[in-house]
Amino acid sequence: MSTASPVKTTAVSAEGVWKAYGSGEAQVVALRDVSVQFASGAFTAIMGPSGSGKSTLMHCLAGLDTTDRGTVHIGDTPVTGLNDKALTKLRRDKIGFIFQQFNLLPTLTAEENITLPAAIAGTKADPDWIKKIIHTLDLSERLSHKPTELSGGQQQRVACARALATRPEVVFADEPTGNLDTRSGAEVLRFLRTSVDDFGQTIVMVTHDPGAAAYADRVVFLADGRIVEDMADPTADKVIDKMKHFEELVAAARGESA
Amino acid sequence: MLRATLKGMAARKARLILTSLAIVLGSAFIASALVLTSSIKATAADLNSSSYAGADVIVEPVEPETYGDRVVRDGVTPETLAAVRDAEHVEKVSTTVSWMVNAIGSDGKILAGFTATLAVNWGDESTARELREGRAPETDQEVAVSAGFAEQAGYGLGDSVTAYSLTTDKTEYEIVGIYGYPGGRDTYAGATELAFTTAEAQRLVFDGADRYSALAVTATEGTSQEELLTEIEPLLGDEADAVTWDAYIAEENAESAEAADLVGYFLLGFGLIAVFVSVFLIANTFTIVIAGRLKEIAMMRAIGAGRGQIIRSVLAEALLLGAVASVVGTALGIAAGAGLTTAVANSFLDMGETTLAVPVSAPLAALAVGIGVTVLSALVPAVRASKTPPVEAMREAVKTDKPITLLTVTGAGVTAAGGAGIALGLAEVFDADRANLVAAAVGAGAVFIGITLLTAWLSKPLVSLLGLLWSWSFAGKLGRRNASRNPRRTAVTAAALMIGVTLVTATATLLTSVKASLNAYFDDNVKAELFVSGPPTSPVPASFDPAVMDDIRALDGVATAVELYYDPATIDGTEQYVNATTDFDGIVDQFGGTVDEGSISNLQDGEIAANRSAAEQLGVGIGDTVTASFTRGTEPHEFTLVAILDDNENTDGWYVTTAYVEEFYTPKPTQALVDVADGASVEAVTADVEAVLADQPEVSVLNHDDFLAQITVFFDFAIIAIQLLLGLAMIVAVIGVINTLVLSVLERTRELGMLRAIGMTRGQTTRMVTVESVTIALFGAALGVAVGLGLGWVLQQALAETGIDVFAVPTALIAGYLGAAVLVGLLAAIAPAVRASKVNILGAIAYE
Repeated sequence: MSTASPVKTTAVSAEGVWKAYGSGEAQVVALRDVSVQFASGAFTAIMGPSGSGKSTLMHCLAGLDTTDRGTVHIGDTPVTGLNDKALTKLRRDKIGFIFQQFNLLPTLTAEENITLPAAIAGTKADPDWIKKIIHTLDLSERLSHKPTELSGGQQQRVACARALATRPEVVFADEPTGNLDTRSGAEVLRFLRTSVDDFGQTIVMVTHDPGAAAYADRVVFLADGRIVEDMADPTADKVIDKMKHFEELVAAARGESA
Repeated sequence: MLRATLKGMAARKARLILTSLAIVLGSAFIASALVLTSSIKATAADLNSSSYAGADVIVEPVEPETYGDRVVRDGVTPETLAAVRDAEHVEKVSTTVSWMVNAIGSDGKILAGFTATLAVNWGDESTARELREGRAPETDQEVAVSAGFAEQAGYGLGDSVTAYSLTTDKTEYEIVGIYGYPGGRDTYAGATELAFTTAEAQRLVFDGADRYSALAVTATEGTSQEELLTEIEPLLGDEADAVTWDAYIAEENAESAEAADLVGYFLLGFGLIAVFVSVFLIANTFTIVIAGRLKEIAMMRAIGAGRGQIIRSVLAEALLLGAVASVVGTALGIAAGAGLTTAVANSFLDMGETTLAVPVSAPLAALAVGIGVTVLSALVPAVRASKTPPVEAMREAVKTDKPITLLTVTGAGVTAAGGAGIALGLAEVFDADRANLVAAAVGAGAVFIGITLLTAWLSKPLVSLLGLLWSWSFAGKLGRRNASRNPRRTAVTAAALMIGVTLVTATATLLTSVKASLNAYFDDNVKAELFVSGPPTSPVPASFDPAVMDDIRALDGVATAVELYYDPATIDGTEQYVNATTDFDGIVDQFGGTVDEGSISNLQDGEIAANRSAAEQLGVGIGDTVTASFTRGTEPHEFTLVAILDDNENTDGWYVTTAYVEEFYTPKPTQALVDVADGASVEAVTADVEAVLADQPEVSVLNHDDFLAQITVFFDFAIIAIQLLLGLAMIVAVIGVINTLVLSVLERTRELGMLRAIGMTRGQTTRMVTVESVTIALFGAALGVAVGLGLGWVLQQALAETGIDVFAVPTALIAGYLGAAVLVGLLAAIAPAVRASKVNILGAIAYE
């Protein structure tokens, strides 16, 4: 896998982020002092077993959840400490989302779903750009369909188009293939790859599928709320191999912090 | 199972409380209606029992058979009084002279209102009076007045007051005393009163004859009421009749009971409307509750709960909800009934202290209706819930809306059948007018029900159309789509509002059409521009001095001025309206009538004219003789019929010369018609006529519009009363809309979370929910207005032959309904919108 953009700037960064839920005996620490940077124009996968904190990390990076300690930046904008209004605007203008459940509005057509972020912002989406995405995603024939008239793969492609429609600084994808069959999943992943290679899009994807992670430029492994491994140019085999030795990685990470 | 039900209810407190509000309202209205009715009856009975306190037998004039209270009764004669007084077991006889009079207040206007001003003789014992200031009247120029009169008329001790009856001229009296009634009351059941010497009271009431309105007879010790009655009865003249005091009070109580029942029915009507509308609300709530619990129910079915158990669990919930709400409603209703009794008793009747009576039927009826309606409304959702297949528990909940085909087909069928009924009725296919009317009315009812069933089908296009109002905003666009998302639910929600709006729109349309038809009729048929008349609400017919007619005729710009006398007389043993005037050609001309046979121009004493239907009713023709008795007349008169007029509502009745007006109930003209000369200014003539009438406080001069406004004032009251009904339906509708929105917000949590995640602001979320709410409410109201107008039109068409031949739209009211619907939508949206805007984004989108 190649990286398209020669100049590397940081699209998203986290610095010493802590996050805990609950209190007292029931307290669960989801993130322990996580620091990580995501380069512009790169496709990064975040992996880890259930409860490793990968989703929490993504939510904190995307301004959906607050951090207890540490700072998060999207580009040059500090996310930490913003109020709801500013966070909403940040998400609207600089971030795109792809969810496992597709989360399309059933009342809107595919095309309306794609231009939804622009409509919410009260702006007009760039028609050439939209056309290009739609063409790339092979959705031209489906634009007037409602979500209930589309297959799962088609729905997720619409969701991808929606995420890219505003040319956000970063797209966060949360298990985008989790609800899809292998073929549809591969289509979506190929598109994400293409959008990084051809459009210079930055993508951060949470997944537990080594095959999906292999589409990325880099894989960040999380366990027990810590980053335990940072792998460049992953392949499915390399990822599976790493996961086989996960116990050792976790033990090593614990030893480091102790 | 019951434990699970209770826990489930506890988890949905807010929705249950909202839903129960409708049941609380319904049972409260029913309970308060029954309590109010009983309490007013009890209070009135208390008051009644104070009349003629201590008397054993009451002697009253024989009631004239035909005209009831409107006719001056021939009084009891002094011969009867003397005979009763001399009877062996009579201890004492007190005399009463009492009838309505006109009194002029300090502002120069007649004291008018819904209760009468009475003239009585001081010393009358029909009720106890307590002198507060001054003394009793001693001369015929003196008067003592009730404190209520003094206050309303603006007089104090030493002032002079002008009073007169139908048969006397205006006379000034000096106020020498002010009195009240036991219990510190200022009036007797609202009536204001002036007490004169017996002689002066007789002059006012009996035109100076020595007569009495009633005798209160007290027996000597040891004589029972019945014994006294038996002793007195043979002593009475033909003019008088006697009853025991007990029977008299029973009669009075029955009369006040009638009035109390009327107020009660009104409240009961409100209660039934609330109950009717809450059926929709309760059914909807349970559908919603069950929809939210589908997985839970399926799980219970999976682990072995039977269908019956599911139904029972839902019904148990309904029973509990209905019971709690009805108990609260009944308690509130009884409290409200007590409060209302005091309010009604004090403001309208000035009864002073009230007696609270709570009949057993009040809590029984309120509880039965409240619980019964709740359980019945929950039945359909309960049965539907029991059909949930156990496998639902395992499935990811994919909501497939039930098709509305059956509903739509049934609705269309019923609507079509109703439409056919209307068409048949309006086309007068049946021979009998009544059958046509019934066909149209039943058809209209069927269309109403049919369209209620069609609401779901209509909701999609109509809600979409209405939603265009907000499509300038993106949040508005989304709200509009959301509103038409679940036609079934939108329909049930909107139906609650639609039913109320339909009923009031139909009624208001009909009443407006009646008013418009009257207007059109007057404009087309009545030539005179101005009317001289008094308010139709006054207990004493308004009349004026006939001498002013010459002054009016002498005014510049007056072409013709004719006065009209009127008497509810008896002709050949039947009730007939008899008119008298000095200008017959004038009357016929001004009222747009025509003389069919004979001539009316030179009607002589002893001659009579009639319109066609009146003559036909008695089977008389030109040259035949009829016998007429006038209200105050002592002897009947014979008349020869000399003219027959074409049937015309305005010239209805019989015509005689003014030679007989002394025997009329109102011996003075009650109305005059003034035709303004061509080219003269109506305003200027109105002002001139007003100046001439300055000394005639009972009447005023009115143009067509004012005159109609005066005679249609009752329609206005009716229209206001039905708006109150609508207000109630609106309250219930608000609850329904809240219910639906809360459910929608719950169901769309994930969607809302996504929207917030990709950048929708809280404000936009709030607006989206508000638009959905307002659109649903407006849909209900708009449909209600449309159906109501349609039904109003059908009614008007069906009744066209009775004279309601103009269709008029109550535009201002309709605008008001739509405005109120927007308000309902806005109010209902508040809580759900806030909830939607505070959706936890993470919770909403996170998988598992």
